[in-house]
Amino acid sequence: MATDSVTPAAVDPGWASLARVAGGDAEAFAPLVESHQERLLHLCERLLGDAEEARDATQEVFLKAYRKAGAVRPQGQVYTWLYRIAVNHCLNKLRRRRLVRFLRWEDPEDRDAPAFEPPDGGADPAAVLEARRRWRTTRRAIARLPENQRSVLVLVRFEGLSYKQVAEVLGITEGAVESRLFRAMRRLETAQEADVSRVSLGEAKP
Amino acid sequence: MTRSIEYDLMRLLHGELPAEEARALRARIFTDPELAQAYRRLESAWQGLSLPPASPVPPGFAGRVMARVRGRSAPGSLAWSAAPGWARATAAAALVAGAVLGVGVGRSWPAAASAERGSDTQTFLSATTETSLADSYWNLVEDVAAGDGSGEAQP
Repeated sequence: MATDSVTPAAVDPGWASLARVAGGDAEAFAPLVESHQERLLHLCERLLGDAEEARDATQEVFLKAYRKAGAVRPQGQVYTWLYRIAVNHCLNKLRRRRLVRFLRWEDPEDRDAPAFEPPDGGADPAAVLEARRRWRTTRRAIARLPENQRSVLVLVRFEGLSYKQVAEVLGITEGAVESRLFRAMRRLETAQEADVSRVSLGEAKP
Repeated sequence: MTRSIEYDLMRLLHGELPAEEARALRARIFTDPELAQAYRRLESAWQGLSLPPASPVPPGFAGRVMARVRGRSAPGSLAWSAAPGWARATAAAALVAGAVLGVGVGRSWPAAASAERGSDTQTFLSATTETSLADSYWNLVEDVAAGDGSGEAQP
């Protein structure tokens, strides 16, 4: 597509695969799935908080990417484009989930954060309990964040993306990334302080 | 503490501050207890975020995705641009018909109701045909309320 000396395909060969997909070669999509499935599954699981739902979501994300192969403009890295599709897809799922719970009169506080079943490595039971408590607290704190702050936080904290990369994924400015992250951090600080005081109150009880 | 410093602390924590600025800010944190406390709070909230390791990719996952891909038609086939001309024309006609019907119902409903009441029909009609459905509804409510003789007209 591009005729510059440094084409996007030279930066990321995934674009060439997508061009072949757009030309009707469905099998050219297989290497893309192989190389990005792990990252996308992890991202969806972080955003949705449910491994089973994340698997379905990731399949849908790949299908969407396949359908859009003919329309995409190669720019940057393929994973950035795939992340964008994944974030939008997961946020839509979360919105639907919230709507369904609202219509069923369910408490979003409890149900928006599915419990994690961590792999049990036979570690120290006290350490496992503490780890589970932290996971629950984190999950609840993330679930309470507004969508736009949640996606930024997950991408920076758990996907290890830089502000610039997050800006590319979400199609916003780096300033907006900083601002959303700052507000998310404020909420997290408050939530953590409340959690600490709740735990210390609980420990003070006989 | 200014908002700008708070942003800088966050950038420092996330490794987003240029090296020179990071060095200078670290030096300030070292000498300023308030700044040091703010940084510790931020760091604690950030490090406190913990999630279990993500689940491994299930065996055969890529194969299942590809099976679904192969089951699909060519990429982009679900786009409107790829739809046959008659389908696009029918959809466009249905949209236009729906819009016309909606506008027609919205405009005729309060007018019909007022015609039944038979009072000041001409004036009312000329007013309602130029107003929105919501305005017409509230006009009608006010008219009925005034007709009840239950009190003064609403402001």
